[in-house]
Amino acid sequence: MDKFLLKFLLAIVQKFVRNGIDFDRLKIITETKILMDRRRVHVNYNKQKNKDPKNPLLITLIVYGLFGFFFAIMIFTLKSIQLSMIFFHAYLLVMMAMTLITDFSTVLLDTTDNQIILPRPVNSRTIFVARMIHILVYLLQFTIALSILPLIAVFVTHGIAAGLVAILTTLLIVTISVFITYLLYILILKFSNEQKVKDIIGYFQILMTITFTVGFQVLPRLIDFDQIDQSFSLSWYSYFLPPVWMALTVEAFKELIFDPLHLGMITAAITVPIITFWFMIKYLAPSFSRKLGAMQNSDGARKKKVTDKKESRFLSERLSPLVCKKEVEKAGFEMVWKITGRDKGFKMQFYPGFAYIVVFVFIFVFKSGKNLSSIIEDLPNSNGYLWLIYLPVLTVSGSITLVAFYEQFQAGWIYYSTPIKYPGQIISGAIKSLFLKFFVPVYSILFIAAYFIWGNQIINDFVFGFFANAMLFMLTAIFGEQSMPFARQLNIKMQAGKFVKFIIQVGIVAAIVAMHYFALKINWLIWLLILPAMVATYFMIKKIQNYRWRDITI
Amino acid sequence: MNMIQIHDLRKNFGDNQVLKGINLTVETGQIVGYIGPNGAGKSTTIKILAGITSDFEGDVSVLGMNVRENPIEIKQRIGYIPEQAALYDVLTPIEYLRFVGKLYQLSDENILTKSTELLRLFELSDKSDLRMNAFSKGMKQKVLLISGLIHNPDIIFLDEPLSGLDANAVILVKEILSQLKKAGKTIFYSSHIMDVVEKISDRIIIIDKGRVIADGSFEELKQNASQGSLENIFTALTGGSDQHQETAKEFMDILNSGQHG
Repeated sequence: MDKFLLKFLLAIVQKFVRNGIDFDRLKIITETKILMDRRRVHVNYNKQKNKDPKNPLLITLIVYGLFGFFFAIMIFTLKSIQLSMIFFHAYLLVMMAMTLITDFSTVLLDTTDNQIILPRPVNSRTIFVARMIHILVYLLQFTIALSILPLIAVFVTHGIAAGLVAILTTLLIVTISVFITYLLYILILKFSNEQKVKDIIGYFQILMTITFTVGFQVLPRLIDFDQIDQSFSLSWYSYFLPPVWMALTVEAFKELIFDPLHLGMITAAITVPIITFWFMIKYLAPSFSRKLGAMQNSDGARKKKVTDKKESRFLSERLSPLVCKKEVEKAGFEMVWKITGRDKGFKMQFYPGFAYIVVFVFIFVFKSGKNLSSIIEDLPNSNGYLWLIYLPVLTVSGSITLVAFYEQFQAGWIYYSTPIKYPGQIISGAIKSLFLKFFVPVYSILFIAAYFIWGNQIINDFVFGFFANAMLFMLTAIFGEQSMPFARQLNIKMQAGKFVKFIIQVGIVAAIVAMHYFALKINWLIWLLILPAMVATYFMIKKIQNYRWRDITI
Repeated sequence: MNMIQIHDLRKNFGDNQVLKGINLTVETGQIVGYIGPNGAGKSTTIKILAGITSDFEGDVSVLGMNVRENPIEIKQRIGYIPEQAALYDVLTPIEYLRFVGKLYQLSDENILTKSTELLRLFELSDKSDLRMNAFSKGMKQKVLLISGLIHNPDIIFLDEPLSGLDANAVILVKEILSQLKKAGKTIFYSSHIMDVVEKISDRIIIIDKGRVIADGSFEELKQNASQGSLENIFTALTGGSDQHQETAKEFMDILNSGQHG
């Protein structure tokens, strides 16, 4: 689709915007940019799929198409066109802005132009148009993926006139989302540097994944569309929101209502995006390029780079002697603690997993179909805390696999050139680090929450649970491939025979949880089980520490 | 004492034989420049000597110990600095050096004192608490150099140690190598920068297509090859001089065949 859109946009430029543009150069620049985007290596840890990485853009577009499908169903079911169009345009606005900030940041923040194209004989207008076309190709792809099914639904449900207007309002709302994104970037750049922008984008990406995971699981269960549909009305402040302008514009043309309110909304829907577009082309985009260019040329950004003097450094260096005996183990503990807090690839893959804790809790708590107050009343008499004990380890143990992978895995040469007799010590340090950094805080929070609900009776369960979880954590490490931290290439295919190990591991987890469940009624038995769990954990750590090079996957 | 002893070293990568029977010995305190064209087998030899590659044929001993049997003991007493500045650059130099220092089992105080002082020497003091992902290649190379020397090794293996360094840093590294030699260290390094090799090496070994084709001091090589500079000797021995001229001529012919712009 990108090639088709590129040809389409180039044809428009060739026909209408000839002034000052070197068309041959424009064509080669844009074609090369699209080609490079297709070949860009994307972070993908999903090695279980046993497949080569697919075009990530295509996957995003398919997922967006699926989102569109849900909104199409919503448009079919909602009676109020106002409400369905507000939802649709709000969804477009948010999704486009989020997409632009996350997936698209590489295109917007691409400063390679300055190095590669500026020294060549290409005029600035051509470079500018090339950048705009490059951005437009993506915008149109995302817009089509997000809106094609909902737009079909508008045509079918509300008629041709509403459908045609909705196409127009879709483009207008996208313009506003681009404006918001540019504005956001410029604001961030004004108060910080390029590194900060990239960090913020990283956090946005994590936030977006969490929002989607939680949103798509939880929201449909919470929102009662029937009820909203019947009792929907707009407040005065709603009229300041772009999705409302767009929705009322579609409604005006469908119902042929042209009262002052609707006319006002139509005016806002058309003029605001046009003004923002003009403002963007005239001021924001050039100032954005200048700012980026200046950043690359100046050393100033470097001077402001993140300092880590008081960050994770002191904590990890203070904790390591408490939990690690050998210097090599301490090295593994500290470096994993520090890098997991800084490597975007790890954070992107790991943190969204926490969303599943929320989702699971929600599903388990609300699956009964009872209302919230009766569920809360019944909670202290239930065994629900067992879920809280064993849920976090399912998410956190994922970090054991992730910690082996790193974009610049070549840095792992250091393990092979230094005198490490037992590489298992590095691995045990790394696992202790992950357990302490990610499991313990989550478990503590859940314990406090559980204590308020269930009281003293759960203390022994949580103490046993702590060691049982530690045991399961170590077990995950033992059953998985043994790799040095941050020393393996991404997208490595999974080795055969791992499935059987996985099944055994799941079996052991199930057995421990079942044992705990049956022991719940016998208080003294729970206390008694703590000791074997501690001993088992100790011996598992010893086993990991004794791994030699022949046990390590390189 | 022979610090390095190599006998009939062979190494294959699939069907491609990279090293075809290398024999050499290096004595204590020598600075050995190991040069050769791309793909000659320089990095492979250094990786074998540093105990990183163990899959080879022949006998190799470093510090009197067999590299296959005693890799850990050898690694404790050697320093290895690779060509590519691959390091965990989300860490700061201080953090990275602490990590490496602990792998060598150095004490916290020792690591901190040495890394702080060495970073100062390389003019990186003000950047010691900045993440290295913003560093230039030369700055990263300096950190690598420190990480390879922090445990005060007896032998230092350097694979293209000067690549990416600025002119001042090159002079500094040259001076450090001389000082290390004075301190009795043995240095074995590969480099493309001929005039540096010419000036600081006691001994130059030229390797081509997996075989040693010349071995001796610069003066000896000059005498044998009756050429002026090391660059000329190198080109003459690796059979490149005529070929380079022809390639350059062909290059100009192709350039001139088209039109301007």
